[in-house]
Amino acid sequence: MADLPPPASPPALVSAALTTTQVQVTSDFRGARIVLYGAVFDPLDRPSDVVVVVRGPDQAIRIARKVKTGPIWVNSRPVVFQGAPGFYMTASTRPLDRIARPAVLQSLGAGVDHLSFSVPGNGGIDTRFGSRDTVVSGQGADYGEWRQAVVRLKSRAGLYAAADHGVSFVDQNLFRAEIVLPTAAPIGAYSAEILLFQDGQPVSRRMRGLTVEKVGIERGLYVFAHQRPWLFGLVSVFIALGAGWLASVIFRRN
Amino acid sequence: MDLYLPIAEVSVNAPVLVLLGAAVGFISGMFGIGGGFLMTPVLIFMGIPPVVAVASEANHVAASSTSSVIAYTRRKAVDFRMGGILAAGGAVGSLIGVEVFRVLRGLGQADLVVSLSYLIFLGVIGGLMLTESLGSILRRRRGDPPAPRGDRRPPWLYGLPFKMRFPRSRLYISVIPPIALGVFVGILSAIMGVGGGFILVPAMVYLLRMPAGVVVGTSLFQIIITTSLTSVLQAGRNQTVDIVLATLLLIGGVMGAQLGARASSRFRAEELRALLALIVLIVGLRMGFGLFVTPDEPFVMMAGNG
Repeated sequence: MADLPPPASPPALVSAALTTTQVQVTSDFRGARIVLYGAVFDPLDRPSDVVVVVRGPDQAIRIARKVKTGPIWVNSRPVVFQGAPGFYMTASTRPLDRIARPAVLQSLGAGVDHLSFSVPGNGGIDTRFGSRDTVVSGQGADYGEWRQAVVRLKSRAGLYAAADHGVSFVDQNLFRAEIVLPTAAPIGAYSAEILLFQDGQPVSRRMRGLTVEKVGIERGLYVFAHQRPWLFGLVSVFIALGAGWLASVIFRRN
Repeated sequence: MDLYLPIAEVSVNAPVLVLLGAAVGFISGMFGIGGGFLMTPVLIFMGIPPVVAVASEANHVAASSTSSVIAYTRRKAVDFRMGGILAAGGAVGSLIGVEVFRVLRGLGQADLVVSLSYLIFLGVIGGLMLTESLGSILRRRRGDPPAPRGDRRPPWLYGLPFKMRFPRSRLYISVIPPIALGVFVGILSAIMGVGGGFILVPAMVYLLRMPAGVVVGTSLFQIIITTSLTSVLQAGRNQTVDIVLATLLLIGGVMGAQLGARASSRFRAEELRALLALIVLIVGLRMGFGLFVTPDEPFVMMAGNG
């Protein structure tokens, strides 16, 4: 917020904390609800809005459109969006478009509509397996349609969300918001950005970190499968054959 | 009781999966097929990423097949030599199939090829089997003599070189057709997440003219080898085998297979075939159906990075 004009009156400040900073993915993981608490400190008690933006680790997104070819529907060549967050949600005291102008939200990357997928400058082509994935550039004609599709599909999976009244004041200056992580939430480091808006401008900001990680047997198996894939395969086949043999022995005795 | 799967990264209901495994295992033991063609679509429908469903299902098929093959071995209903030759072809086929699957994932066309394969292979085989078995059921009801079995085997079986004796199947034929069949089934095994029994069983009966008594056991024996290999390859190359998912399925699967193998002796062969044909046909049409209807959502997200 360096380019903000120096305030004439004492500045308003926002402060916040998460009830959990480490979400552990165990075998009974079914998503998580994390409560964020915060407070607004403003000696002048000017009208304030709070916006919480939570971002998960970036994940490349490959998306294809179904096109009719003859009698059947087939996938078009996939389009790749680089650097879109794997999880993204906003919570605010009011709908974002009533808190600030689009240009302000755009510069902050606040709101699903203003989410900037950091696409390569002039659009490139990514070649793999002899097929060419189109990397969409920000200027493409049907960019908007693809982008909407990404947001729509992600929202349906609970990975992108906007809670227009997700931040509520529980006491005069004390507010609360809830972050809902679905089971499909990606593993990795998340950031929660808490913005205080006054008069359509961001006046104070706090960042809080959050990690989602597999622990215990879930982590053990995942690491095993990726670090020793061949041994992992042999072990799983061994279990399968052993179980088959065991069942036939048990049933024979009966 | 919900369980989070470490590789599939979704949460599933564990008892439901065990019961599903048992139901499919029962069908597997009864008809001498792996049952993958039933289970893989169900897993995908339940929200397991298709690539994980295909790879983990190969593991489940290996388990149920082992369970029922042991039962068939006791009845001397397995032609190990024929099974071994088929499996040699199957090994080559799964190597090819796993690589083909990687390329298809890269092209974003894996779903299409999986759906098309189901539609074509299950549709054709289900249709043929249903016609044939309904024909023999009707003939028996009418009291007509069974259709001439056409014991004159196709001449090409004898014209080809590299002949080998298969005493248990009472055959003396070239090894080329069984190897080719094995390769073909191995490729399908990797792409469709199936053992390939639904193709092997009819092919052994109608193409290789093996005696009906050894067909089921031999098919299962070759399926064990092919799916075990597919499992290891999928884990090694694609890291898509979910051991927790596979274990849940196989707990039910191995028990269901035992019960199914026992139940099979209570039915007539052609009635079993008619029933199997019906199941095969329905699954094939269901999987292919989606290709023809206008999708509600014209866009699809590809799982992970592939």
